[in-house]
Amino acid sequence: MNARCITELTLIFGKDHILTELEDMIAYSYDAAHVEVLPEVVVFARTTEQISQLMRLAYREKIPVTPRGQGSGLSGGSVPLQRGIVLVMDRMNSILDFDPANRLITVEAGLTTSEIDRTAVSTGLFYPPDPGSVSFSTIGGNVAENAGGLRGLKYGVTKDYVKMLEIVLPKGDIVRLGNRCVKHVAGLNAESLFVGSEGILGIITTVTLALLPIPEHRESALAIFDTLENAAQAVADIIAAGVTPSTMEFMDNTTIKAIQNFKDCGLPRDAEAVLLIETDGEFHSAQAEMARVEAQVKKNSARQFNRARDAEERDRLFEGRRVALNALASVKPNLILEDATVVRSRLPEMVRGIIDIAARYRIMVGIFGHAGDGNLHPTFLIDMKDREEMVRTESAVKELFQLAIDLGGTISGEHGIGIEKKPFLENQLGEASMNLLRDIKRTLDPENLLNPGKIFDMPAIY
Amino acid sequence: MHTAAKNQAETHLLEAAREFQKCMQCGKCRSVCPVFKEMGNELYVARGKNKLAEKIVSGDLQISARVKDAVNQCLNCKTCSANCPAGVSPEHVVLRLRWYITTQEGLGFFKALLFRQIVWRKWPIGLAAVLVGLCQRLLFGIGPKNPVRHLFPLFGFSKRRNFPTMALRSAQSRYPEVIPARTGAKRMRVGYFTGCAGNLIYTNVVKSVVDILTAYGCEVVIPKRQKCNGTPVLANGDYEGARRLMEHNFNLFKKYDFDAIVVACSSCGLSLKKEINLFIEPGDELTAFTGKVRDINEFIHNSLDIKQEHLGPLPYRVTYHDPCHLVRGQGISAEPRNLLRRIPGIEFKELTEAAVCCGSAGSYCLTHYDTAIKINNHKVRHIREAGVDMVATACPTCVMHIQDNLLQHNSPEDVRFVVEILADSLRAAGTI
Ligand SMILES: Cc1cc2nc3c(=O)[nH]c(=O)nc-3n(C[C@H](O)[C@H](O)[C@H](O)COP(=O)(O)OP(=O)(O)OC[C@H]3O[C@@H](n4cnc5c(N)ncnc54)[C@H](O)[C@@H]3O)c2cc1C
Ligand code: SF4
Ligand code: SF4
Repeated sequence: MNARCITELTLIFGKDHILTELEDMIAYSYDAAHVEVLPEVVVFARTTEQISQLMRLAYREKIPVTPRGQGSGLSGGSVPLQRGIVLVMDRMNSILDFDPANRLITVEAGLTTSEIDRTAVSTGLFYPPDPGSVSFSTIGGNVAENAGGLRGLKYGVTKDYVKMLEIVLPKGDIVRLGNRCVKHVAGLNAESLFVGSEGILGIITTVTLALLPIPEHRESALAIFDTLENAAQAVADIIAAGVTPSTMEFMDNTTIKAIQNFKDCGLPRDAEAVLLIETDGEFHSAQAEMARVEAQVKKNSARQFNRARDAEERDRLFEGRRVALNALASVKPNLILEDATVVRSRLPEMVRGIIDIAARYRIMVGIFGHAGDGNLHPTFLIDMKDREEMVRTESAVKELFQLAIDLGGTISGEHGIGIEKKPFLENQLGEASMNLLRDIKRTLDPENLLNPGKIFDMPAIY
Repeated sequence: MHTAAKNQAETHLLEAAREFQKCMQCGKCRSVCPVFKEMGNELYVARGKNKLAEKIVSGDLQISARVKDAVNQCLNCKTCSANCPAGVSPEHVVLRLRWYITTQEGLGFFKALLFRQIVWRKWPIGLAAVLVGLCQRLLFGIGPKNPVRHLFPLFGFSKRRNFPTMALRSAQSRYPEVIPARTGAKRMRVGYFTGCAGNLIYTNVVKSVVDILTAYGCEVVIPKRQKCNGTPVLANGDYEGARRLMEHNFNLFKKYDFDAIVVACSSCGLSLKKEINLFIEPGDELTAFTGKVRDINEFIHNSLDIKQEHLGPLPYRVTYHDPCHLVRGQGISAEPRNLLRRIPGIEFKELTEAAVCCGSAGSYCLTHYDTAIKINNHKVRHIREAGVDMVATACPTCVMHIQDNLLQHNSPEDVRFVVEILADSLRAAGTI
C-alpha cells in the first residue's frame, strides 16, 4: 500500500488507531480458524463516519477491507484473504441507549456481547443469545455470523433479536434499517439481509436489540444413557411431547471420557451419552416441564436422571459441558470443530452417520453440542502434522457435510461459511440460489472489496 | 555463537513451542489479560504472544524492537493461563522468549551487573539499601513521597514513582540464625525464607512472622546465606542467573531438618513451590523440599492453633487484594480472608475484582510505569468504592504499587500485609 494511503488513513483514524508494523500485522492475521493472511494496515474505528470515509478511500484506491470484531470466529471470517486493510471494530464499544420500557438496547457494534447483560440485568432484562464466546466476541460479529448459543432451542438465535442496524455500505453510504416497533413491515425487512452476512455486504456500526425478562426460575438435570440411540430418541421425544427446554446439551462417550481425564466432573466413564437439560420460566411451570422431561427420559431407558437441587448443584452438573471443548482439545494436538446441523427428528440418524464416517476414516471424533436445536459439534481429534491423517480428515469432513445436506440439514448451524466451507455451499443451496447471492453482493459491492473471498467467490461471469 | 549458548537458545524455543502449540487461538484471553485491556492491541494479548513465538520458532520473524516490546509487556500474572480453555501457559512462552532473546543478545551490561554480581553477592544490595535508606531519612525526611525518586530515571525507572523507605538494618541482621520457640515445648522447626523485600524494606513483616511463629511453639530458623529466590532474575530473562540462585537456596535449605519452610512473599512462595521444578533435577529431595514450602497465611491458618481469645480488637474496615502469585500461582485465597475475618473489631469488605492483577508485577511497574498505573487505577477505584481504612494483601510489590497509586490519588487508605495486621491483633490481646 502506498505511503499516501497510509497518510490518509492516519488522518481519518488518528495515529493511535492505526498499525503498520510487521509484528502487528501478524497479530491481526488470524482468528480461531486455521487460516493466516497478513494485512497491510490495521485500523481501529471509533465512529461510523470514519468507516464511511474509509470505504470511500477503499473504493477510490481499490483496496480490500476486512471487518473484524474480536477475532473469535471459527470460519476465518476476519482473515484478510486479499490483504489490504483490516478494520477492527472493538473500540466502538459504547452503549448508546437503554430503553427498558420497550425492552430495547442500542449499542455500538464493537461492544463485547456479555456487556449487554451487565446493563440489562439492572431492570430484570436479559439478552438471550449466549454463544460460548459471549465474553470474547462482539455483538457486531454475532450479528454478522448470526451466532447461536445454548439457549437457541427455546430462545432462538441472534437474528431473532435484531431490531435495527446502522450499516456502512461498501461504497461508503450510511444506512439505517429496521425499526424499534415490535411489528413493522415497511421496507423489505432489509436489516435481515445483513444478519449472517459475514461482513461481505456492509459494516455494521450500531445494533438495536430486543431484550426479554429474566425467567423467574430454572430447573436443571443430567440424564445418563447406555446407548446413543436412546439419548438421541429422548431428545426427539421431549420435543414431540410439547416441552421446550431452554437448554438441551448432548455429550457422547468420547467427550465424557475426555472430560473425566481432563478434570473430574463426576460423569460416568462408561455412559454412552448424557443430556444436560434445563427448563425455565415461572416456578411451577419450569418444574412441571422438567417432570415431563423426566418421563420421556425414563421412557428411553435412561440409567439415571439427576436433578439439581440448587444453583451450586446446577453449576456442578454443567461443569463437564463447560470444559468439554478444552477436554477434547487435550486429547490430540489439534481439533476440527464442525457445526453441521439437522432438524431434531433426524438427530439419531445424524449421530449414527457421524460415528460411521469417523470409523471408516479411522479418525477419533467427539460429539457434543446443542442437541435440542439439532446443532451438534462433531469434533475431529487429529494431528495436523500427520499428513496422511489430514487427507483422511478432509474426506471425512466432506462426507459429514454431505450427510447433513442429505438429511435436509445445513453445513453450518452457527459458525458461518467463511473460507473453508466455501466449496460445499453450492451443494446445499443449488446454482440458482448461489447466483442470487452473487447478484446481491455485486449490487452492493461491485468491485468486490469488502471482505472478498468469503462465503463464495465472485467469478467475473457466472 | 557458542554451541552451548546455541543449544540453550534452542531449548528455550522448543519449550516455548510445547506451550504455544496448544493454543486454539480462541481469543478468550482477550477478555482477561490486564495488559491487553489497556493497550487494546492483540500484539500484547496472550494469543498474540503465542503467535509471535510461533513465528520466531519458524524463522519467519526476527527479534526486533517491537518483538521485545511485546515480550516485555507481560505481568506474569497468570490470568490467561488460569482462564485458558486449552490449558496453555502463555506466560511461560513469554519467559522462554525472554530467555531466548537473552541468549541471542546477552543480558546487557547493567542487567548482568545487577543479576550476576549484585543480587548474587547480596552485600552490595544491602549496602545500597542502607545508602538509599540514609538519604531518604537524613536528606529528605522519611516518607514514601521522598525526593530520592529523582534518581530513578538513571536506572530506567519513572521518577513519578513513590518508593517505600529502605531499612537501615536488614531484618536478617537483627535476628540470630536460630530463634527459639518462646512458649512451652518446641512443636516445630520452621525455616523462614524472608525474601529481599522482607529483609530490606518490610522488616516489620519479618518481625510479625517471627513473633507469631515463636509464640506458637515454632523454632524459627532464618538461614543467613539465603539469597534472592530468582523470580525477578527469571522475569528479566536471565535463566542462568535464576538457576544459580534456585540451586543455592535449595542446597542451603535442604541441609536443615525443617518441618516447614515459610515465606511471606507470594512470588518467593511460587518460586520455591513450583518454578524451582524447572531448574533442579527432579527427585525425592526436590519433592521433599517443595512439599514443605508454605505461604505464611496458609501456614498460620492450617498449622497454628490460634484461639479466638488470643485475638485483640482492631478498629479497622479492611479489604483484601489477591496477589497473582498467591491466588493463581498457589491457589490460596480463602486463608488470608479467614484470618482477617476472625479478628474482632475488623469489618471485612470484599473487594470488587479482588483477584485482578494490580499491575505491579515485580520490576514491570518500574520499567512500564504508565501502563502499570493504568492497570492499577481500576484497583484504586475499587478500593475507594469499598470504603475501607486499610487494604490487606500478601505480596511486597503489590503493597508497594498499590500504596504508590493511592498516594498519587491522595487517597488515605493504608496497605499492609495480612500477617502484620494479625500480629497487631495478637499484640492487642497480649498474646505475643
Ligand atoms: C471457544 C469458542 C466458542 C464459540 N461458541 C460459539 C457459539 O456457541 N455459537 C456461535 O454462534 N459461535 C460461536 N463461536 C464463534 C464466534 O465466536 C462467533 O462467530 C462470533 O459471533 C464472532 O464474533 P467476533 O466479534 O469475534 O467476530 P470476528 O471473528 O472478528 O468476525 C466474524 C465475522 O464477522 C464479520 N464482522 C465482525 N464485525 C463486523 C461488523 N461490525 N460488521 C460487519 N461484519 C463484521 C467479520 O468480517 C467476520 O466475517 C465460538 C468461538 C470460539 C472460539
Ligand atoms: S485463551 Fe488460551 S487457547 Fe484461547 S487464544 Fe488465549 S492462549 Fe490461546
Ligand atoms: S500473564 Fe497476565 S499479562 Fe501476561 S499475557 Fe497472561 S494475562 Fe496477559
